[in-house]
Amino acid sequence: MTTDEFLKLICQKAGMESEGIYVKGRKEGWLEAEDEAFKDQPAARKNVARICHMYLLKVMKVNDLGISGAKDLKDLYDCRVCANHIAQVYMRGIMDAKNIKRDGEFLWFDLNGEDSDEVNSAIIDRLLLIHGGDHVHQDMNGS
Amino acid sequence: MNGPAPIDNSLRFDSFDKDDIFAKKPRLPAMGWNSWNAFGSGNTEELTKAMVLKIKELELDKLGYEYVVLDDGCYHPERIDGHLKADEVKFPSGFKAMADFVHGHDLKFGMYNDIGDRLCSGAKVGIYGYEKTDCEDYIKWDIDFIKVDNCYYMWDNATFADPENAKYSFAPNIRSIYFAGNTYQAVSDAEITGTCAKVKDDYVTFIGTFDGTAPDHSPVGSRSSELVFEVEIDEPNIYELVVNYATGKEEGVGSWLQIAVNDDVVFDEMVPQTESPETFKDSAPIKIKFNEPGFNKIRIMNHRRQENTLHSYTEIRSELEKAGDRDIVFSICEWGKTQPQNWGHKVGDSWRILNDITFQVGADGNHGTAAWECDYTTSITSQYNKAVIMDEFAGLGRGWNDPDMLVIGMDGIDNIMCRSHMAMWCMLNSPLMLGVDLRRVTKGDEIYDIIANKDLIALDQDALGIQAKRIFTTYKCDEPDKEYIRDNNRIDILAKPLSDGSIALGFFNLSQEQKEAPSISCEEILNKIGNKTANKKLFANAKEYKIKDLYTGEEIITGSHDFAAGVLKACDSKVIRISPLS
Repeated sequence: MTTDEFLKLICQKAGMESEGIYVKGRKEGWLEAEDEAFKDQPAARKNVARICHMYLLKVMKVNDLGISGAKDLKDLYDCRVCANHIAQVYMRGIMDAKNIKRDGEFLWFDLNGEDSDEVNSAIIDRLLLIHGGDHVHQDMNGS
Repeated sequence: MNGPAPIDNSLRFDSFDKDDIFAKKPRLPAMGWNSWNAFGSGNTEELTKAMVLKIKELELDKLGYEYVVLDDGCYHPERIDGHLKADEVKFPSGFKAMADFVHGHDLKFGMYNDIGDRLCSGAKVGIYGYEKTDCEDYIKWDIDFIKVDNCYYMWDNATFADPENAKYSFAPNIRSIYFAGNTYQAVSDAEITGTCAKVKDDYVTFIGTFDGTAPDHSPVGSRSSELVFEVEIDEPNIYELVVNYATGKEEGVGSWLQIAVNDDVVFDEMVPQTESPETFKDSAPIKIKFNEPGFNKIRIMNHRRQENTLHSYTEIRSELEKAGDRDIVFSICEWGKTQPQNWGHKVGDSWRILNDITFQVGADGNHGTAAWECDYTTSITSQYNKAVIMDEFAGLGRGWNDPDMLVIGMDGIDNIMCRSHMAMWCMLNSPLMLGVDLRRVTKGDEIYDIIANKDLIALDQDALGIQAKRIFTTYKCDEPDKEYIRDNNRIDILAKPLSDGSIALGFFNLSQEQKEAPSISCEEILNKIGNKTANKKLFANAKEYKIKDLYTGEEIITGSHDFAAGVLKACDSKVIRISPLS
């Protein structure tokens, strides 16, 4: 799924007009210029996380959780600019981690990976169900 | 992009301690406001202008806060006709207009880029390959400060870069060398220098430089390793060397081999790949000229992690200097990855020492979140614990350790923590870059009182330019100024010589419980920093001292040669300025 298709799906599910979504999203502060510039490229998980988190903050007005509970994601700190985005969507259960066995078992967000259309659709469904103070990912200790 | 550039001898590991490459004017730590901690990628022209106006309204410029720096998130995500361009929505008037606005308020203007081909945000506008063009544009935009990051770097396994780039940063695993008819085993016949390399089975691995991005390793001491064979030759001649090696593309085992004979680098290139990091083969014979009979050292090494990074920063600084005559602060932001405390002074004014102090930066309407302590880099004490033993790397005319931008005003830390944070950064001669939305600040409020503490700022900006040294800690250790301590259940005492002959003394309770601080004597202080004080004799022989509490402003005169802080609350501190009275 491309970034453009992902955004159109958000619009469809949220009941928003997709025409002019880039202008609207940038004005509201939840989209970046790169989303439009590279709209036909596959939506990487780190970018999906950013879009979802910023949509939570700017459109749904849902405040951040502490991110300490996301530290079990082994690649969380690989992404200095998107660590918070990833932590927020992971801890709210919007996006899952992947369980990869390598030298033992650990959780991996897979920043540059891509999800199937079905998974992306489910991510948007979970995003739109969030309300402030909503559920936190199980086993998490967000402060 | 065929591989990293050749390295000039002036940028070699062996030259790190030699003269700087650029004529630098002695510069005290930079002070100002940077957009990242306050607004992350969401900074805009409107917000930046508001910060400029607040700096003037609060008269922070009169205290030294003069640089206004646009961090990541301000560029159009792609180059336009090969040039950088402002994001049209966030900065509709462009960078030159932004610079003019900042300069019009008698402040200085700073920008941001990356030594790789993208910025950390992912924007495809990294400076690599565009050094000349971009630096000419920066000069046209009248920048006074540049922060240069390290994401997407091609020649190391930096954040976002290809992890296999580690092939450039480490030597192959080495089992033996064959030289002048003899086989020398790596494990038994060579010396491993430094603390990075180690023996595994019958070979030596991790020949390279520790990654300093995370807080796991001390910055003190040799952070790089070589494998050194001592060989004896009868007469100067050209000899053949064969290296038995196995390559990899991961942290610890790479494919780039450097060989030096004594001080001369004679081989510096990628070697053919092996099947695996444990499948060894012989190199082609490498012809090496030996100039001296008798014992010589053959050094098997890879210092490219440091040398490549230094080279990339040097390219930018060179192009800035060629492009125009502007006095530009050069802020190295490679997060301590390549141990910049060793080489940063050659090119920059400061160097970050770790990954970021927070990953929960703010946005318009969101303060962001910081922490007092954590097990990674994202806390005040994580940064402090490393910076506090790095005083010998910093200095006026050399440059400054940078434990990242201030997080004062963020959620997650209280005012006591913020005050200690400010005091630590001032004692450590850190750059003081505010990261708070200044619209929240009014003169006389708690944030203002901390960031506008003239007495603390005076320590940071003292003309002597000497970073405080940790002279005592309640944590059991032999060398408090050198040992890397990450257990925060302790009190540290720092001493900082000042240009007027005074000494600043800081007592820091790192723990989250109240503790009684020990006292310290004049003799103990001078034993540790006496050689750096402006007038050791005057300080030692003073009959009385004026002691100023730099938080309350209270002054007392005492004849005691012992100095104390009493009971300190959790995370609290006390900083005093001790002036000898003749």
